[in-house]
Amino acid sequence: MSADSVLHIENLGHSYGKFKVIEDISLSIGKGEMSALIGPNGAGKTTFYNAISGKFKPSKGKVFLNGEDITGLPSHRIVNKGMCRSFQITNIFAELTVAENVFSPLVIQQNKHFRLHGNVFKDRQITEKAMHTLEQVGLSDRADQAVSTLAYGDKRLVEMALVLVRGPTVVLLDEPTAGMNPEETENMISLIRKLAKNSKTTFFITEHDMKVVFSLAEKIYVLHQGLLLAQGKPQDIRANEQVQEAYLGRKTHA
Amino acid sequence: MEILLLNILNGLSWGMLLFLIAIGLTTVFGVMGVLNFAHGSLFMLGAYLCMQAMQYFDSFWFGLLVGPLCAVVIGVLVEKYLLKKVYNRDVSYQLLLTFAVLLILDDGVRMIWGSGYHIVEPPAILGGIISVAGQDYPVYRFFLIVIGPIIGGLLWSFFHFTKWGKIIRAASFDDIMAEGVGINVPLIYTAVFALGTWLAALGGALSAPQQSLIPSMGEKIIIESFIVVVVGGMGSFPGAFVGALVLGLLESFGTVFAGRMQMAIPYILLAAILLIRPNGLFRKGV
Amino acid sequence: MMNIQKSHSLSGPVLLTILLFIAPLVMPTYWVILLSEILIMGLMAVSFNLLLGYTGLLSFGQGAFFGIGAYSAALMLQAGHENLFLILLAGMLVPLLAALVVGFFSVRLDEIFFAMITLGFGMLFFSIAHSWIDVTGGSDGLPVFALPGLNLFGVVQLTFYAPISMYYLIFVTVLICVCLLRMIVHSPFGLILKAMRENKQRVSYAGGNVRVLRIAAFAISGAFTGLAGVLFCLFNNMATPEFMHWSFSAKPVIMSVIGGTGVFLGPLFGAGVFFILEQIIIQFTENWMFFLGIVLVPIVLFFPEGVFGTLRNKFYKVAGRGLQPPSARGKRQKNEKGTV
Repeated sequence: MSADSVLHIENLGHSYGKFKVIEDISLSIGKGEMSALIGPNGAGKTTFYNAISGKFKPSKGKVFLNGEDITGLPSHRIVNKGMCRSFQITNIFAELTVAENVFSPLVIQQNKHFRLHGNVFKDRQITEKAMHTLEQVGLSDRADQAVSTLAYGDKRLVEMALVLVRGPTVVLLDEPTAGMNPEETENMISLIRKLAKNSKTTFFITEHDMKVVFSLAEKIYVLHQGLLLAQGKPQDIRANEQVQEAYLGRKTHA
Repeated sequence: MEILLLNILNGLSWGMLLFLIAIGLTTVFGVMGVLNFAHGSLFMLGAYLCMQAMQYFDSFWFGLLVGPLCAVVIGVLVEKYLLKKVYNRDVSYQLLLTFAVLLILDDGVRMIWGSGYHIVEPPAILGGIISVAGQDYPVYRFFLIVIGPIIGGLLWSFFHFTKWGKIIRAASFDDIMAEGVGINVPLIYTAVFALGTWLAALGGALSAPQQSLIPSMGEKIIIESFIVVVVGGMGSFPGAFVGALVLGLLESFGTVFAGRMQMAIPYILLAAILLIRPNGLFRKGV
Repeated sequence: MMNIQKSHSLSGPVLLTILLFIAPLVMPTYWVILLSEILIMGLMAVSFNLLLGYTGLLSFGQGAFFGIGAYSAALMLQAGHENLFLILLAGMLVPLLAALVVGFFSVRLDEIFFAMITLGFGMLFFSIAHSWIDVTGGSDGLPVFALPGLNLFGVVQLTFYAPISMYYLIFVTVLICVCLLRMIVHSPFGLILKAMRENKQRVSYAGGNVRVLRIAAFAISGAFTGLAGVLFCLFNNMATPEFMHWSFSAKPVIMSVIGGTGVFLGPLFGAGVFFILEQIIIQFTENWMFFLGIVLVPIVLFFPEGVFGTLRNKFYKVAGRGLQPPSARGKRQKNEKGTV
């Protein structure tokens, strides 16, 4: 494990009964890196995310966050250690307002979630941070709206805000542009790029849209049938024949 | 030894009645996702309607045939005009609506037949007693022990070997898929609810000669059939069978070994199963 | 900073408080007694709704905590303890502990499974109260002969034998509890409860321990429900196993849905509707349950936000205050069975 590795994964595997969804995945992501995990549908990307983010305990292997073993910890403990994730299917608090959505992770982070008195809206430690994040993602003018009334693209932004607001050291984004129209996709890419540039946060994203991947990632990992097929810089991945055969063979050009 | 045998027989006959009620409940839940609080009231209604029809035709067997069918008419009306409107609503609304139906049916029966006890005599052929291990035992309970597995077996065959049975099973797995292959899902729902009602009412009619009829008889049995359904696994057919027998036997033996605390046995069973196997003994699958 | 918080008008609740304070002075005794019962059951329903409306958990065993509160009070009075505060305190603490235990086992489950396990635990307590005759008096219940008094600053000795003084004891206790519950609902904890109602998985991925948070909500709800039970025991001079029966646990569910689970005071309003309806119906027929069922059906079908909730939203629309009504809670939540 290299010294500056933030997220380090060793021989990770997960199976349902006899069916191995992912197998023997090892990788190491350095601090502040922007990496992407790609692979055709069914390659095991979401299973991989779920296994490292505490949705379930992986059947094999180890996961280290900042050198600490977090294998099999429940999701809330992993989040409290600084790794937050988004979901492919928007996963937000539908009937709360945008502001209340973003407040919630902060209340928990600042250990105020068992406080039975007081008003979150008057807590400047929370509201200022929340408004800052909403400004970053461009939702500050809609803070008082119920998120159920927002357009799809804006709901995805709320999802981003929920991930970012705690200031995590590692951010896992599961298909951040899934279901978006080209304009919204463009918007999301530039947002992620801006965030990655301005902070020391490590980003690890999965995407099916090759354009997004090659325009963002410094390093790409290719997952194929549950195995890590290749890893490297975007130009290496583009040139890799195995990858082309397994994946880019479908004539996807960036 | 005699006590052991008698308790097994009592447990089995009670378990068979529970089974009939629980399969209706579990099938309705499996297909429609609604836990029907009024299911016990349909059981009660079946008993009263059986009694009424029996007096009219002067035959228990006609009562057994006609009573549950009359209950089905009411069940279909309930499904078509009430339940249909809450399938997509929160579970609390579904429970409350069926609870309202329970109140209406229980008090409605009280208004028609009064709140006193009614007795239904078993038919002459099943009315006698026979000697079991030196003790007198009603023949009618043997009849219940036999009829339970027969009805269960017929239903199981219906679900596995007939077109309609297979369609219902398909609908219980996935409504949208069922609709996609051209199955009329609303019709299936009504049919399944009618079937569930018939099973509950038949259970009530069959239980009539064994217990005295009172309007609140449904309230006791609904909780026990909830327990059977949860213990067996919601929506599971074999689960309902095993769950009903386990509960029937436990209650029967509870009178022997648990004394006054026997009342708590079903709830201890329920809590224990939900904690050890939250999905019940058998996983979903009608 | 911009105003992003919905404003909560306090004029309604303040007016209600004043009315409830004056009411017994001008009402016949019969209605004072009825109003006492409405307030007690209203407290139970508002506490229950902390679970249903705010946390998204349908408890069908709330009667257990009501009953445990009532029995704690009855047992203390039988043992000769006459300090009112001690009785109220014990009537909160004992149900709180019971709710911690029940919650510990139950909150792993969701939806109908949660309703069933709480129903099971409630009936377990019912069976105990019914069968442990030496302590609970069995099905007859535990009678209370002497009510505790209240000594104010060593000067005035208050007793609660007259219906009107009993009313004021209930009124003050319920008022304090409702204020506390309102504070909890608007607190950071309350926000997280609503977040769990909407999406417990996301709460977990925001760093919150859903199980512990739910247990806390369950225990708080149980404690206030228990206090309502104490009041009922004093009011009724009796603690009976019936409090713990599932049909009693159904009452706060009915009241909350009548009133509206999305409005803080909705369940209290629902309790009022419930009892007043009962009074009207039993004048014509003894089959009041039948007509309750008849009334419940259209409420469930056509008032997804409860009578009070729907009326309130209409009022805001007419008044054009630009407030967003609280969301309908009638929609089905994502059915995610299994463990947290």
